[in-house]
Formats: sequence, C-alpha cells, structure tokens
Amino acid sequence: MEHFQKLMPFSVVMIPLIVAFMLAIFARWKREFCAYIAIAAVAYGFYISYLLTLRVMAGEVIHYAVSGWIAPWGIELVIDELGAMMLLLLTGCSLVILLFSMKSLHKEIPEQATGWYYTLYLLTLSAMIGMVITNDLFNLYVMVEVTGLGACGLVVAKGEKLSTEASLRYLLLATLGSGFLLFAIGFLYQVTGNLNISYVAAELVQVREQYPFLMWATMSFITVGLGVKAALFPLHIWLPDAHSSAPSSSSAILSGLVVKVYIVSMLRIYFLVFGFEVFHESYMRYLILLLASMAILGGSLFAFVQLNLKRRLAYSTVAQIGYIFLGFSLGTSWGIVAALLHIIIHAFMKICLFLSAGAIYYQTGRKKVTHFSGLGYQMPVTMAAFTVAALSMVGIPLFGGFITKYGLAMGSLEANNPYFIILIVLSGLLNAAYYFPIVWQAYFTSSHNVKLEFDKVPVTMLIPIVIMALGILYMGIFPSGTLDFLERAVSRMIL
Amino acid sequence: MELSRLLLNYPYFISIILFCLGCLCILTQHNLVKKVIGINIMETSIFLFFIAVGNIDGGVAPIYDPALPADVIYINPLTSTLMLTGIVVSFSVTAFALAIIVKLYQFYGTIYAQDIMRMR
Repeated sequence: MEHFQKLMPFSVVMIPLIVAFMLAIFARWKREFCAYIAIAAVAYGFYISYLLTLRVMAGEVIHYAVSGWIAPWGIELVIDELGAMMLLLLTGCSLVILLFSMKSLHKEIPEQATGWYYTLYLLTLSAMIGMVITNDLFNLYVMVEVTGLGACGLVVAKGEKLSTEASLRYLLLATLGSGFLLFAIGFLYQVTGNLNISYVAAELVQVREQYPFLMWATMSFITVGLGVKAALFPLHIWLPDAHSSAPSSSSAILSGLVVKVYIVSMLRIYFLVFGFEVFHESYMRYLILLLASMAILGGSLFAFVQLNLKRRLAYSTVAQIGYIFLGFSLGTSWGIVAALLHIIIHAFMKICLFLSAGAIYYQTGRKKVTHFSGLGYQMPVTMAAFTVAALSMVGIPLFGGFITKYGLAMGSLEANNPYFIILIVLSGLLNAAYYFPIVWQAYFTSSHNVKLEFDKVPVTMLIPIVIMALGILYMGIFPSGTLDFLERAVSRMIL
Repeated sequence: MELSRLLLNYPYFISIILFCLGCLCILTQHNLVKKVIGINIMETSIFLFFIAVGNIDGGVAPIYDPALPADVIYINPLTSTLMLTGIVVSFSVTAFALAIIVKLYQFYGTIYAQDIMRMR
C-alpha cells in the first residue's frame, strides 16, 4: 500500500497508456468490449486523480522521480495545484465523453474502427496527463508530439473526405509547432545545461542577462510553437475544419481538453522557467494580449456567419481560447485566476455543446442551425442542456461563464486597462447573437401540432450532457471553492 | 568580429538555415509529399542543432576507455540520446502523414493541395 501510494502519479499516466496498446490487440478479438475496458481505465485514472487532488489540497506538492532517477538526471513528475486541477479535469471530462461515445460512435465512424478508436483516445488522454504533470522539458516535447498524433488520429477516424483532409492540415501545422517548441527547448538546454524545469529556471536567473537576444528568440519560438497547437488567433486556421469534421466525441475532447493542455504548458514555461517578472515585462505579453483580443472578436464574427452547427462551435472555440490567453497575458492575479477558471468552464461548456450537437445529429440527422425548429419539444433534455451552455457562453449570472467574465473584468481593472471590459461585453453580445437564434428557433418557432416527447437517444448519451450542464451550473452558483484553489495555484506560480 | 563568430559557430548557422527552408517548404509547397519532405528537413535541422550543442572541439566519443589519458574530454552524450527519441517521433509523424496522403489520393485522385481545395 505504501509502495502504491508512491507510484500513484506514475500510474495515472501509465495505466491509460498500457491499456491503450492492449486494446489495440484486444480490438481484433472482441471489439464490443473495448469501450468498457477504456471506461474502466479512465475511471481508475479519475479515482487516482481525486486521491492526488485531496493530497494537494491538504498543502502537499507531490514529486515523483520516474524509475528512481532523481531530479536533474531523470524525469520528474510534479503535481502542484495547477497539475491537480488539470488532472481532475482531464480524467473527469474524458470519462464523461467516453460514456457518450459508447453509443454515438457506431453512427459516426466505420464499424471496424470502433475498437481502435479507444486506443487513440486513451493514447491522447495519457499523453495529455503526462504533459500537465511532467517537470521535464524534453518529456514535455514528447508528450506534446504524442498528443498531436493521437488527436490527428481521433479526427481521421471518421474516414471521410473532409476529416482526412482536415487532419492532414492539423498534422502538418502541429508538427511545425512542435518543431519550434523543440528548437526553443534546445536553446534553453544550450544556455542552462538542464532539462528539468526547476533547474532550468534556477540557472536561467543567472545567465539571463548575458543572452538577451536568445531569451527573446526562445520566448517567441515557444509562443509560435505552442500557439499553433493552442489555436491562438492567426494560427487557428487548422482548428475549424479539424474540430467540425471529427466525430462528435472527438470534437468534444479536442475542443474541450486538447487545446487547453498546450495553454497550461505555455503558462508553465512562461511563469516557472522564465519567471513571472520577465514575462510581465516582455513584449511577448503585449503581442499575446493583442492576438487574444483579435481572437475574441474575430472568432465570434467568423462563428456568426457559419451555418453548420459544429463549425459554429469550432469558431466559438477560437474566441474562447482568446479569453484564456487574454486572462493570462493581463498579468494580474485576478486575470490568471480567470484564465484558469475559464479552462475548466470552457471545457464544460464546449463538451456540453458538442455532445448536444452529436445527440441532435444522432436523433434527427440535422446539422444546419437553420433546421432546428421545434427541437426543444422533440429533445427537451438535450436542448435544455444546450440552453444552459449557451447562456453560460453569453455570460448570464448564475452560469459559469459569468464568473470568468467577472474575473477578466476585475483583472483588466487591476491592470489599469479598462478597455478590455468593453471587449468582454462586446464579445458577450456577439456570443448572444450566434447562440440565441439556435435556442430561439428550437423553442419558439415550431409549427402548431408539436407535443412534448422525451429524447429518443440512448440514456448513456443523455447522462454526459446533463452532467456537463450541471457542472456549468455548479461552477456558476458555487465558484468560491474552485476560486480559492486556483488562487493558491496562481500564488505558487507568480510568487 | 561578428562574422568570425558566425564562422566559428557554423553548425548553428546551417541548422537555422535548414529550419527556415523546412518551414518554407511546409507552408508554400502544393505537393503534399513535398510538404512531408519539408517536415523532415525541419526536424533534421533541429537534430543537427542539438548534436552541435552537445559537441566539444577535440572531444572523443563518450565511451569510457582506460587506455585514453585521464584528461581526455568526452562529448556530451545527452543531446545525442535525446535526438534518438526525436528521430523516432519524426519517423512516426512521417509515416502517419504519408498514410493520410495515400488515403487522400484514394479520395481525390491527386496529391496537390490546390486541386483538393478546388474539388471540395
């Protein structure tokens, strides 16, 4: 038991990874059981994450040296508050999406691929978990690369023209991005001689002054490298195609979780390697601030003109990623807390919306937002959850989105930059402009003789949607516990 | 003085040039296979950079040999080891990209990005 407790951080990465490769063989033999095994593996990960989070909440920072090689030589896993939050979010949300995918997959991807889909899913998940808890830069690069490959696999699994093309574009740009990241890691290794984030940071404080140009180059390489993968505004061109043409459970994990882990890694590198002060004074902060503002407006405007529901949701992701970047480049503690909170709330909202889109497609086969009239009576549960997520996107009080908008507004006041409040309000209005027509149509434009009926989708598809909607409401009504935890995470990073 | 420093550190200079060439290749070529070749050029330039970082002038291969004098300098093996992982990653990305290109060729009958965009 003692030994197991020590191994817990390692097992949360390794169990999904091992099960992923076992499933690849198992799928040839018994395809229909793959989903249950995958759910068991992720449920184990969720339980361990919960135990680890309890330990972190008690004030401990968990260190684990992989296979006994201690810190500067071996790979070190560190679970601090940010890592624990992401662990819980990643495992919890992907458990919910897996539950949804059990039934929905059969309608969306070729039957013989349904078993191997879970291999890709678990591979992506374990690499994401590794990315948020690793403390080693090269290990981070490997995890980034595995996540990128797994995510492309999740898109291409549909086996259609559009998704194949979108995933090739995603793969090419993601590889370009990880090339930039690896180059930046090379620069850091060259000047510090270390790969462990804590040691690099300690060395960098001493040599930073000697290489101002190299620091500048490293920072911009990291911004471009992880920015491509996190879909920072002008680099988002791969996202709408990839996220809208994927199967709906893939869209949910890609939009809700995959783009976030890159932001978390970026945050880690900026705040823990370079240090908060350096980031705060660098020009890179103003660049990200500008790009995030453009993302918020541009993403919303692009979303407004899309008629395909999933494409509209994908462009909305571009805008919401802008919120997260805006929050952390404001450089005030409220701003960063709001950014981290938005990572959670946006995951809930976008997963809820994409899963609802998947359920609507499952029952009615409709994809266009103009064809949704009367849907509020045919699928009351799904549309109720959709409405909750839409209201939260707009930022109505009592829903999760309001809390982040409030946090961002406080952050911009703290940064003496009240113009961003105008931006936030404007973007809220734009969100209303492209989400409310859908809701309005579903409830109020039906023909006369509709009667209320229950959703005709399997119950395993309804439960995930409802859980996510309840999550949004919970975050909107009782945000204080999460906010306290995130404030602790931020105070550890920015000192 | 600046030029002499550049000449002294020529491996870094070459790796940067190759990196830029690779990026240009990925972004501007219309032939999808050439884009994949661009990825390989880019990643190889990074391998060159890392190995140049680990190299020491006059160093020997990092294998302990009692026959060598005690003050011999071994080069840094870590960067070469890291690049083994890098090569594996690059290999798997290439394989995956080529597999997708084969699939696209089956769908569209062409591997030119422009034609595929037109046929959509």
